[in-house]
Amino acid sequence: MASPVVAQRPAETPARPGRRRRPGIGRRDHLIGWLLIAPAMVYFIIFLLYPALAALYYSFTEWDLHSAPIWVGLQNYIDLFFDDVKYPHFWKSVQVTLQYTLVAVPLTLVTALAQALLINSIRRGSNLFRLLLFLPVVTAEAAVGAIWRWLYDPQYGVINAVIGLVGIPRQNWLNTPELVIPALAFIAAWQCGISMIIYLAGLKSIPESIKEAAVIDGASPVQRFFKVIVPMLRPTTFYLVVTGIIAALQVFGLVYVIFSGGGNRSVTGGPEQSGLAYVLHIYLYAFRYNAMGAACAMSFILLVFIMIITFIQFKFMKQEAS
Amino acid sequence: MIRRVTGAAAAALLLAGLTACGGGSEEGGAGSATTELTYWMFQDRTPQAGEVVEKIRTDFEKANPGVTVKIVKIPKDDYNTKLGSALAGNTVPDVGILDQPLVSRFAQEGTIKEVPAGTLNEADFWEGALNTNKVGGKLYGFPIDHTAVALFYNKALVPTPPKTWDELKTISAAIHAKDAKVAGIVVPKGDGYGAWMWPGVVGGAGGSMVDEAGKKILFDQPPAVEALQLWVDLLPSSPREITDSDQAFANGLAGMMISGPWDVATIKDQFPDLDFNVAPLPYKTTPAGNIGGENAVVFSKGKNEALAWKWLQHLTNSTNNTTLAQALGGFPVNKVAADRDAATFGEQQQAFLEQLKVAQARPALPQWIQINDEIIAPALESALSGKMTAQESLTDAAGKTRALLGWNS
Repeated sequence: MASPVVAQRPAETPARPGRRRRPGIGRRDHLIGWLLIAPAMVYFIIFLLYPALAALYYSFTEWDLHSAPIWVGLQNYIDLFFDDVKYPHFWKSVQVTLQYTLVAVPLTLVTALAQALLINSIRRGSNLFRLLLFLPVVTAEAAVGAIWRWLYDPQYGVINAVIGLVGIPRQNWLNTPELVIPALAFIAAWQCGISMIIYLAGLKSIPESIKEAAVIDGASPVQRFFKVIVPMLRPTTFYLVVTGIIAALQVFGLVYVIFSGGGNRSVTGGPEQSGLAYVLHIYLYAFRYNAMGAACAMSFILLVFIMIITFIQFKFMKQEAS
Repeated sequence: MIRRVTGAAAAALLLAGLTACGGGSEEGGAGSATTELTYWMFQDRTPQAGEVVEKIRTDFEKANPGVTVKIVKIPKDDYNTKLGSALAGNTVPDVGILDQPLVSRFAQEGTIKEVPAGTLNEADFWEGALNTNKVGGKLYGFPIDHTAVALFYNKALVPTPPKTWDELKTISAAIHAKDAKVAGIVVPKGDGYGAWMWPGVVGGAGGSMVDEAGKKILFDQPPAVEALQLWVDLLPSSPREITDSDQAFANGLAGMMISGPWDVATIKDQFPDLDFNVAPLPYKTTPAGNIGGENAVVFSKGKNEALAWKWLQHLTNSTNNTTLAQALGGFPVNKVAADRDAATFGEQQQAFLEQLKVAQARPALPQWIQINDEIIAPALESALSGKMTAQESLTDAAGKTRALLGWNS
């Protein structure tokens, strides 16, 4: 399976050539340093590096998890890309995941920023609202599935009742192929608590003096928002976009619980595969169809894709506050 | 200096903690004098089920001195994953439950043993249940408990359940005509679950899914097309916006639904006021049904083979099979047990017992789950959503299945 890729920018401390101490191999501090990071290293090697390398190996094999893997070279990759008999829904899962990412990430960020601004602007009770808005993040995924299946229910759902008030006809949200992605993205936006907290921290770090200067210069609230707050939050936004895209491309739990509950035990990805997220597709091949080799290949395709996307973002997106 | 000592001590502590986390596995405490048989099964559904299994286990140990049976219970959702890892890592159980669709794959790979002649008397078991253990005509496992789907009907809306497809269509139309807010029947969907039920309907028109021996696809033939057309024809009187609502049948929003015995308990528990019953599936020419349930197999890498078969005989004999099946949430596969104990099953359960007698096993092909989920389910959906006709979508699906299996016809 794809190991989660964590985007981290190394803390760049300006080098001071003359005074830099070279870490000597023989130094005892050095040994203690190694010992201190040893648990983390052991964890990294056993639970991340080794499985990732093993998955890379298995991606070149045909393996059903219990008999000996058969080396097939690049065949899994070639079949995934070109053989729509063997993998009829591979490209569909790519399409679904990209669409989901394109809708969910902006929606989540806008929601998170709006929530952060609101919380930042109130004087009293901000802790309470922070807690309430963060609750969806700590809610168990199965409960999230149950709650939202009920909210989206075509007969009794609260959402249909609300849109009915403004005259929009009832929708069968989770069973209409065109509505599945927006419905899922909406849930993701509801769960934006972590982004909200990070935005809140970003907002708190904007110096009062800058905001005051803008006020004195006669900037309207809208101007202050677009000319001061948004640019000052750019490093935060960059971080959230990068991690948000990585998370969205790996979406799994949400689609799994939404489409597996309600007595319907199959998880083939919603109506006409409209919710067949890429990782759900991997899961089906790995654990339902016993094609672990192909599943590993899919994981690696995703890993490489995420690396490319993240690289492009680092290369071309503005990261610094201005 | 002090900093260095505390640093080293902290590092040592961390490492010690890590190793403590690492070495946690221990062996089950079986003495060397006894033979230990390991049996893997799904996690109990209820505490009472655990007691039934425990009683069957102790009975077996009493009858076989010097033998202990170690039962390992694994949540159903994790079972195949755990079993896969165990098989890869050589920590295989001697004997255990195996998902029906995996029997053919494991048999072809030699992961499980063929049932030795004389171990099981075929006449003692329902044919459909037994056939779920057959691959290429050979028997590879014991059916333990099985289940089927049948027709649930709301007595207030459906006084007499339909026996034929025509009656089904008429009743469904009448229900919806009488009250536009109520659907006739919850029509299954084009997903893996719907595709699992569908062969029971195909069988009702005298058809079947494939001819494994002749390597022929049959689900694009008239009986299958008619079966899918039946579902399409039911949709106008059973709109999705009603039936997609959670628990539409139990809430009284649909007159009928196709489901399994698990829903009997759920509905009785959560909707005690609903007056419903269950009837065998309506058919066109032949009573038929699908089948699902638990089989048990003996693993090639396991030990104690003779004892393992003996254990499976014990689980499926006429004495134990009913209580075990009831505990596991299914129905006995042993004919003597099933006929003798039919009355001990509630009113709503009788239809499932009837269905098991006419149930047909799904094709014994290793790729079947994939075909079911990835090819047949979308084909059903294409027809149900009106994107294609039943014949077009099934012809297309049959072509894809042939290509996947490398069959010519």
